[in-house]
Amino acid sequence: MPGLLHYLVLSALLFAFGVYGLLTRRNLVAMLLCVELVLNAAALNFVAFHRFLFHGDPAGAVFPILIIAVAAAEAAVALAIVIAQFRHTHNLDARAADTLHG
Amino acid sequence: MTLETVFFYLMAAFILFSAFFVVTARNLFRCAMGLAAVLIGIAGLYLLMDAQFLSAIQVAVYVGGVVVLVVFAILMVEDVTQKEFLRSPFSRNVASGIIAELLLAVVAGAAIVQGFGPPHPERSAAQVREIGRALLETGPGGFALPFEVISLVLVAALVGAVTIAGRPGEHDDPKGGR
Repeated sequence: MPGLLHYLVLSALLFAFGVYGLLTRRNLVAMLLCVELVLNAAALNFVAFHRFLFHGDPAGAVFPILIIAVAAAEAAVALAIVIAQFRHTHNLDARAADTLHG
Repeated sequence: MTLETVFFYLMAAFILFSAFFVVTARNLFRCAMGLAAVLIGIAGLYLLMDAQFLSAIQVAVYVGGVVVLVVFAILMVEDVTQKEFLRSPFSRNVASGIIAELLLAVVAGAAIVQGFGPPHPERSAAQVREIGRALLETGPGGFALPFEVISLVLVAALVGAVTIAGRPGEHDDPKGGR
């Protein structure tokens, strides 16, 4: 029977994958996808704690809903910025986006 | 080894394989498909933890909404068949791998050292009714304020996204001024 620790380790692995991708990817959309991995790792932790340690306290189920809502808002804004940048520079390289760099 | 254990390990392997795909695939469209696979796998784990409502939301909002949005954006801005995908230098990959590994060691190590004791004898997950009450409850243990704030955040994000991504000059008066 998988316990709390199984889920925590899986979530930590997913988090590490997301951070690795965030550090190595240079494409803006790919970086956004890696952020989604990190957010999902956090949501998985909430649900695991809520299920195994807090006897189904609804707080543990409400926070993943808030995380999903924030992730949707974040994806909408980030993709709008990506489209705007692509229109200006025809490039999705994160290092090319240095117009505000002093 | 129960059926639940087998299902957990199958799902975990599926999620990690897809996550690896998201992080390393050179084709952006395949990255997005890998993310969809990760999200579906996590929805399966939610089902395994008796959180059916969260599982349904995960599939409906994430896979049906966010991933579709990402795919649209990819198709709009990038030639997905391009071969020259930007990659970081090897030294940066190694350094990032070490950092990610250290983070993994700290987080997983903390969870293992802490231990958290045996699980609650009567394990259960919140039902839809309890989640709905908690979302609209104003007293202690209620989440009415976060619920309202998140709706404001969503409206602001959507209006902002339309404003940013709209064609420049579309809403502007050509003679200056708005």
